[in-house]
Amino acid sequence: MSTASQADPVLVLEGVSASYGPYRALFDVSFSVPAGAVVALVGANGAGKSTVARVASGLVPASAGRVLLRGHDVTRRRAFEIARMGLAHVTEGRSVFGSLTVEENLTLAFRRALGHGGVADALARAYEVFPRLGERRGQLAGTLSGGEQRMLALSRVLVLRQDVLVVDELSLGLAPVVVDEVYEALGTVRSGGTALVLIEQHVNRAFTIADGVVVLHKGRVAYDGDVAGAAARLDELVLGGPPAAAP
Amino acid sequence: MTTLLDYAIPGVPFGCVFALMAVGLVLTYKASGVFNLAFGAQAFVSSLAFVSFVADGWPRWLAGLVAIVVLGPALGLVLDRVLFRRVRTASPLVKLVPALGLLIALPQVALIVAGSAPDIAPPSLFFDAQRVYLHVASVPISGLELSVTVATVAVVIALVAVFRFTPIGLEMRAVVESPRMTELAGVNAGLVSAFAWVLSSCLAGLAGVLLAPLYAQLDSQNYTVLLVWGIAAAVVARFASLPVALLGGIGLGIGQQVLAGYLPAGILATGLRPSLPFFVLLAFLPFARQRQVDDPLAGCDPPPTALVGEATGYRSANLLAPSGGDGAGHAVAGWHRALQARADRGAGVPSAGAHGVVDRLASRPTLVVAWAVGGLAVLSALTWVPNVWLVTMTQGIAFAVIFVSLTLLTGMSGQISLCQASFAGLGGFVAGQLADHFGTSVLVGMVLGGAVAAVLGVVVALPTLRLAGLPLALATLAFALLADNILFPNSWVGNGATGVTVPRPQLGPIGFNGSRSFFVLALVVLALVAALVRTVGQGRMGRLLAAMRGSELASVSTGIDVHRLRVVAFALSAGLAGVGGALYGSLERSLSPDAFNYQLSLVFLVVAAIVGLGSVSGAVVAGLVFTALQTEVATFPPRFSGLLPVVFGLATLSYTRHPEGIVDFLGGGVLRALGRRRQGAAGAGGGDGPGAGPGPADRSSARTAARSAVATGEVAVPEGGGRS
Ligand SMILES: Nc1ncnc2c1ncn2[C@@H]1O[C@H](COP(=O)(O)OP(=O)(O)OP(=O)(O)O)[C@@H](O)[C@H]1O
Ligand SMILES: [Mg+2]
Repeated sequence: MSTASQADPVLVLEGVSASYGPYRALFDVSFSVPAGAVVALVGANGAGKSTVARVASGLVPASAGRVLLRGHDVTRRRAFEIARMGLAHVTEGRSVFGSLTVEENLTLAFRRALGHGGVADALARAYEVFPRLGERRGQLAGTLSGGEQRMLALSRVLVLRQDVLVVDELSLGLAPVVVDEVYEALGTVRSGGTALVLIEQHVNRAFTIADGVVVLHKGRVAYDGDVAGAAARLDELVLGGPPAAAP
Repeated sequence: MTTLLDYAIPGVPFGCVFALMAVGLVLTYKASGVFNLAFGAQAFVSSLAFVSFVADGWPRWLAGLVAIVVLGPALGLVLDRVLFRRVRTASPLVKLVPALGLLIALPQVALIVAGSAPDIAPPSLFFDAQRVYLHVASVPISGLELSVTVATVAVVIALVAVFRFTPIGLEMRAVVESPRMTELAGVNAGLVSAFAWVLSSCLAGLAGVLLAPLYAQLDSQNYTVLLVWGIAAAVVARFASLPVALLGGIGLGIGQQVLAGYLPAGILATGLRPSLPFFVLLAFLPFARQRQVDDPLAGCDPPPTALVGEATGYRSANLLAPSGGDGAGHAVAGWHRALQARADRGAGVPSAGAHGVVDRLASRPTLVVAWAVGGLAVLSALTWVPNVWLVTMTQGIAFAVIFVSLTLLTGMSGQISLCQASFAGLGGFVAGQLADHFGTSVLVGMVLGGAVAAVLGVVVALPTLRLAGLPLALATLAFALLADNILFPNSWVGNGATGVTVPRPQLGPIGFNGSRSFFVLALVVLALVAALVRTVGQGRMGRLLAAMRGSELASVSTGIDVHRLRVVAFALSAGLAGVGGALYGSLERSLSPDAFNYQLSLVFLVVAAIVGLGSVSGAVVAGLVFTALQTEVATFPPRFSGLLPVVFGLATLSYTRHPEGIVDFLGGGVLRALGRRRQGAAGAGGGDGPGAGPGPADRSSARTAARSAVATGEVAVPEGGGRS
């Protein structure tokens, strides 16, 4: 992706490897995300997409390599520090606190980032962008519909204007109409200047808004380039193409 | 009506202390997933400090402040750092054992540090303890009662307010659901849960300090009892609700006083009160949720590491399995095992004992060493060892029998029992009573005692069929209390305060009055019991038990009758423990009613787990170690008498690193070392070339890894595969 844009990369992975206990899940993964750009991260099941996301946000430690966020080395930083430095990670599956209300979910993040005084304003902005959340502010987030939960997770990023948002399988299990809505929200986040790393099973969907594509195959980067190039060789890449030439 | 209140109102202060305990238990359980049984010990430490400070002339408020707000939380934080943090995602057993170990060891260590228990009557925290301040429905309320009640209600209200209305409260609730997701929101989850520990440790300290003056003197036993009441109230609150924990605690406090007041004097009155927690637990445990919401980010953890060595087929490979219900992975693993067990059952496949003896010995050098040492010990015992030692060794053997019964139940089938001593005690009492009343030979009595204990095992298993993990452990603990208080004091069981005499057996012309002859007898009994358990473990039942341990749900789905299996396992284990108890009784020639009280059950589980629940040999070593420590340390000069609890505490610490137990760990260590040497000799032509990247350091963990791959049902990229 590095060739496609002249902007400074906001997120860089350099030769990242990662393991779950004895299992290696990532092998020497490198790519970068230019500020404000959208990178689609695709690959077969188990290719390591979620692991990339977890390493970037600090949930899983990198066993080798470096992760740079806005030029700062965050490889050894804890997840909460990375979050405060401007990387948001909306995880696979449920990504809100089911036992807290909508408003508490938002407050939790806002209070750390904006201080006590900023919370009310931030809440108002979130409800303004997503009125449905405002209507349900007192409801437990666990009782929201799947689409609403995604909105809630996105609204946090939107208001805090974080630099990078890594979204993992955002559209999984949603009805097509709801997927449209979620993607609309994603567009709003992006137009706020946040770069996106978009992990998607619906590859075509992701490609419609992506600026670049990274394909993972068995824990390695099999492709890193523009959308057209990826679209042309997608099946081969995803289903077991040869790994990209070693750097 | 006044009489009811006369009984009920004095129950309130007790209830308040129970409630504080319960609230603290619920708080840590929610914030860190650990049900901290060491709370009883923490409460004791704080109250000991408080009373000691006051005895030294400190003002009460200062002593209380230091004991509750400084010492209590400091201790809690240390325990969290060095111990509980490591076991947060481990299996219920691995979480339970360190807490139990601390519960036993900590008060002793604290007494050593303090020098001795202060000999003043414990003062009340504030108010004048004896003065009557007011009357409620014409019942006088003393300063003591008033201080306890006021402090509790104020603290719990403050706590609820913190949870509901403050930022840290919100963060604690978030951490309860998912520490990782909390971090993604930019909140330092480690700090938040440390805060929760501090808070709950303060509560434990407060409970301890408040409880102290309710008794005439400071006694760590009272704090274990306090803990049990707290547990009962926590269960009423379904491990979740702080206000319900408060009300539950107060309710129990009132309930016990009212019961004591209305029941006719006798065993029922004195016995029912301390066993009330049992009934409460039984009634409420089935409704207690283990944890409210599952952490959606649990998938970031690597799969649990399997344990070393599985030569005997029933090693506790799942001890480290994550708790919180069957993860999908474990369901798969259990299912796999269950299927295998089913298949074996259908086809009658011979069990895995097919390797030759030589093969096995060669593959397990520890086995050779063990046999050599064992043989030497027996030989020595029969020739030159002095009588005193011989008796100790025989005691060790009797305890080994009991520990083997735990191997069967907890090691093989994964059911945690905290009432194993009660089974043993019953076996001993029955053998003694039979000999006393009917002149039954003790050898027969041993078998019958075992049989009666087995029946008791069934009695325990039936009402607890639907419990597992922590709730099961708590229910068995409550049962042990019940046995201590209602069963054993009866003249036809433990015979009140006098106890029961158990004669030495007589087999035709052979008497077993001499130490050496009895030693041989004990050895034979142990060999029989060990052989039985080994056979069970390697046979079909062993595989069914392993399947059940892996996942009860999955086992059910493959048609295994889990309920029957559990009843059988409990009965068998209780029976063996009963035989062990009878053996011990006969060795000692008598059994006092508290020879096998509930505290011993706790010690049994902790020692067995630390030394090794995974194998029969581990259990035998556990029995010997237990006795050796107990008797030999007691003969040390007083300066060293504190050694035992310290050793015990340290062993507990080691346990969190080696939940497979010391015996298996050492065995595995030797194996690993040998394996490395062999690998080294084979040269560097191994599959992983240079640049294969960092990976697990030693080979055996690759083996472990392969096994856990099955255990989690995940497919991962093989180590070092790919490029070269
Ligand atoms: N907690 C874990 N423990 C062990 N291995 C894991 C764990 N989580 C993931 N893996 C393994 O790491 C590899 C990469 O997994 P990852 O979840 O990153 O894949 P993914 O591309 O997100 O797949 P999916 O499309 O199914 O979400 C897989 O082989 C997986 O089995
Ligand atoms: Mg994924």
